[in-house]
Amino acid sequence: MADFLPYLIGGLANGALYGLLALGFVLVYRATSVVNFAIGEFLLVGAYLTYTFALFLPLPAAILAAIPLAFLFGVLVERGFVRPLLGRNVVAVIMATIGLAAALDGAVQLIWGPDLKYLSGSLPNLGFQAGEVFVSSRAVWNLLLALPLGLGLLWLLRRSRYGILVRAISEREVAALALGIPTARILAGVWGVSALLATLAGALLAVASGVGHNLVFFGLKVFPVAILGGLDSVGGALLAGFLLGALEALSQRYLEPVLPGFTEALPFVVVLLVLLVRPYGLLGERQIERV
Amino acid sequence: MLSVENLKVVYRGVILALDGVSLELGDGEAVALLGPNGAGKSSLVRAVAGLLPKFEGRVLDGHVRLMGQEATHLDPVRISRLGLTAVLEGRPLFRYLTPVENLVAAGHRLLPQELKAGMEEVFARFPRLYERRHEQAGYLSGGEQQMLLLGMALLTRPRVLVVDEPSLGLAPKLVEELMRTLDALRREKGLSLLLVEQNARAALSIVDRVYVLERGRVVFEGDAKAAREDQDVMEFYLGKEEVGFRQAKRYRRRKRWV
Repeated sequence: MADFLPYLIGGLANGALYGLLALGFVLVYRATSVVNFAIGEFLLVGAYLTYTFALFLPLPAAILAAIPLAFLFGVLVERGFVRPLLGRNVVAVIMATIGLAAALDGAVQLIWGPDLKYLSGSLPNLGFQAGEVFVSSRAVWNLLLALPLGLGLLWLLRRSRYGILVRAISEREVAALALGIPTARILAGVWGVSALLATLAGALLAVASGVGHNLVFFGLKVFPVAILGGLDSVGGALLAGFLLGALEALSQRYLEPVLPGFTEALPFVVVLLVLLVRPYGLLGERQIERV
Repeated sequence: MLSVENLKVVYRGVILALDGVSLELGDGEAVALLGPNGAGKSSLVRAVAGLLPKFEGRVLDGHVRLMGQEATHLDPVRISRLGLTAVLEGRPLFRYLTPVENLVAAGHRLLPQELKAGMEEVFARFPRLYERRHEQAGYLSGGEQQMLLLGMALLTRPRVLVVDEPSLGLAPKLVEELMRTLDALRREKGLSLLLVEQNARAALSIVDRVYVLERGRVVFEGDAKAAREDQDVMEFYLGKEEVGFRQAKRYRRRKRWV
């Protein structure tokens, strides 16, 4: 069992990024009922933005510089792609986000080229030795950024006025409009935050493993994570991120030797099993029905 | 305060819901808009609140003026800023939010201390809401939901309040209470009230004037007293006599003269 803790910590570090990304995904889904298939590309764009800034800034500053730009990017996507289609057929919006994903993929390759790049500079080393276990700097950074940010957002959504407005709009936009709530501005902000979270995840991922098109595949993990947490539950997304991250790492260590390749399928198997017992996901809400 | 001139509203480009409706609501006045299902009452509410685009509808012709300003094609946020709040039909509250959160959402323009004072006022008026302030609003009873909606409308600090079918689905006793509350609120806050109702008896008890809408046109307008004395309005909307199919046809014949 000597491997257990290191693997668990590595898994949680990965899971923190799953959680961040899923948080952004679920936030958008909840507020606008749009399934954003381009979330992986949001992450990609964020990683490349960080890479570009890191060419002439120290890495921490590069990440900080990428974040407002990412927010703006999210707002623009909402204005340009999503707003004109809101209220249309669900499939139309889904097709638009898939189209957006393809377009962003192409744009990123056009601008930054197809080969894998590495960030110049690095984050301050925060790794430490705790007894027999070494906690990597990467794990510390991921957890240090994802946990407070995730929990903070959760708190904001639950308690702050802005969060209440987001939840109100997500439930009944017309009623919110009738109260004079500026729904358009608030929803654009939600897309901005989603892009911001994806960018942060992308940047942290890029620090660890470089920037390349393969980051999109990391983005695909957001679907099992979000479904596991309950598509409309922001807290669930965070929790499910950590859970799947940890399970993946442990499966890598303990199951892979017995069942090669199983780790790839694991998230989906877990989702399937959980949905059998809890059809709304771990923390998904039941619909209120009054007759 | 609110004036509607010759308004024509069309949905999806083909369904004509309002066909030249004019209506006046003076400062501090209470006016009822009556009419059967499909008469276009809710279309009028949506039009004055700027919400038609959300229902695939648009103003084809005519004008809406609010506080003397042209407001025909304004967006809902601007209209709300001008001081008109519409409570749409179907209890449009946020069911997954608690009453407190509903009130916070409604009072989004208020400063924190104003919001706090406003909420205290609402809770003082509706003690039942205070008892259930932390439950999901979707689980409140119909009457409590209606109280919450009124409280929310108040927190938007309106000068013109438009309420669409508040009595729907409420027991007669609750309807009476609701009307009394609306009346009291209006007088206290000096609001102009446009009360859209199918329940004519209830509505007429608290308004000064009345418009009757049918098939997108105003077929009767006058003061509430005249409406109560008008045979047609009485028969058709107040059900003073048993209104059967035959009488309904007679009403249609007579209506041409109205």
